[in-house]
Amino acid sequence: MLSVTVFRKFEDFTLDAAWTSDQPIVALVGPSGSGKTLTLQSIAGLITPDMGRVVAGGRVLFDSAGRKNLKPQERRIGYVFQGYALFPHMTVAKNIAYGVRDRDRSRIDRTTALIERLGLDGLRARYPAELSGGQQQRVALARALATDPDMLLLDEPLSALDAPLRRELAGELGKTLRDLGKIAILVTHDLIEAYRIADTVVLYEKGQTTDAVSKNDLLWNPSSERIARLIGARNVLRAPIAESSDDAIILDWRGGHLMAARSPSHQLHARVHDELAFFVRPEYVRLIRKNRPVTDGLRQTNLFSGEIVGERDEGTTWVLFFRLDRPGTPSQGTYDLEIEIPRLVYERLNISVDRHWEVSIHPGSIQVLPGH
Amino acid sequence: MDVFPVWLSLRVAALATLLTVVAGVPLAWLLARKHFPGRDLLSALLLIPLVLPPTVLGYYLLTLIGSRGTVGRFLARWDIELAFTWRAAVLAAAVGSFPLLIKTTQSGFEGIDRRLEQAAATLGHSEMSIFWTISLPLAWRAILAGTVLAFCRALGEFGITLMVAGNIPGLTQTLPLAIYDHVQANQLDQANMLSFVSIAIVLFLMVALGRIARLRF
Repeated sequence: MLSVTVFRKFEDFTLDAAWTSDQPIVALVGPSGSGKTLTLQSIAGLITPDMGRVVAGGRVLFDSAGRKNLKPQERRIGYVFQGYALFPHMTVAKNIAYGVRDRDRSRIDRTTALIERLGLDGLRARYPAELSGGQQQRVALARALATDPDMLLLDEPLSALDAPLRRELAGELGKTLRDLGKIAILVTHDLIEAYRIADTVVLYEKGQTTDAVSKNDLLWNPSSERIARLIGARNVLRAPIAESSDDAIILDWRGGHLMAARSPSHQLHARVHDELAFFVRPEYVRLIRKNRPVTDGLRQTNLFSGEIVGERDEGTTWVLFFRLDRPGTPSQGTYDLEIEIPRLVYERLNISVDRHWEVSIHPGSIQVLPGH
Repeated sequence: MDVFPVWLSLRVAALATLLTVVAGVPLAWLLARKHFPGRDLLSALLLIPLVLPPTVLGYYLLTLIGSRGTVGRFLARWDIELAFTWRAAVLAAAVGSFPLLIKTTQSGFEGIDRRLEQAAATLGHSEMSIFWTISLPLAWRAILAGTVLAFCRALGEFGITLMVAGNIPGLTQTLPLAIYDHVQANQLDQANMLSFVSIAIVLFLMVALGRIARLRF
């Protein structure tokens, strides 16, 4: 459905992006300066790659080998720019109608429909400077949609908004895009925003890309250590395999055994004694209540005792840095595990005073990373 | 007081400014938005009139439009004479004021958020249409400022005008040249009067420019 290969060398940066997606809504995620916006500009024809090929819905927009390079005017793309780039000297109505030719009756009807649908009816005569961030965003979307494009490109469409509005509009935007049924490519540096809006995600890092991954796999079943690090997974660790069976892997970690459940969707070719990367979700590590018998059998697997050597107040949660009572260097410098617990738990267990604990790690919460 | 130099100067400056704007605004847009070979050289060449002695400029202009110059001979075919006429004064004033208009307008175009023009392109508008509907309306303050500056500079043009149009009273004697003549002839009253007129015109335009630039549209 969507295939993008763009290569362009700049003085101090090389964009080398290559990905395909069979889902209509794709998010490009990565830190600023990683090439996301340059990719959008290449797709829209605003910059010309040195090499590459862009195919959307069977239509070739750019092909350096076949010497095809459609002008931005011919690509039938709606572009929502970062900061929206509304024309400051035109009213809302003129902004939206800018791409609509006067004589085209159906287009004029569509503009009117868009103005109503996006709730901009009362704002027709206003100038962009007189609108709130959320209103500007809707005008930008309406303007991009007014020409009935084949594909929508959205560059940080929510970054100009305040945090609460952002969360609210992320869901709304996702719904609008799905209802439109068009191909849409969204640029964001926020993985959660991508998760809420898009179907698949492409990760960007220093001009390089991963292939598009379905958003659920990305967050809940990342396929490699690299992807785990790119999505900001914590407690990314490595350990040799001690035993391996059909449904579990026992890792030799910090002088003890750590049991991890096998992921059903990833093939694992590693053998016993091979080093394996994995990560432990900080919010899945459980503190064992003292002076209470452990009845739950599962809690007896992956049981470790240790000391809290550091902590960080995150507002609604606390992050604890946990160091095992075992000889040897801790696996993450001064600590072995990052643990995240709700504030309520922190207060109930009196953790600010009581620093020595036993923890259990559920085997299903240990994510094994087969690739590199 | 002989008012002919005042009228001549106003007319010459107005026509020179018109020439400058018509040729200069598109050129400034090209310099601001397009990359082409020789762009830096062209940009430097356009600034030369600001720093070169007016006599040098006038000399080269004269070799071009004089009766033996390329342009002069070409125009002679239609019996059009340029050198030492009021038309030469227009040309001289235009050359002198061109860099001011170009620089001011160019920075006006450069100040426009590129994404606005890119947005217009993705919405199907041609470059020509984008120029008229986006770039020009958004750079109007800079263009107006450049135009007023160019007009004031044209009004005060002395050196180039003297070289190519001469100083013929009643024909090519503009306001600055008339002041020079009056001072030479020790007619200080007339010199004072004309100087005052010059200052009044320029001051009025500058104040008006400041007022208009504060308006929204």
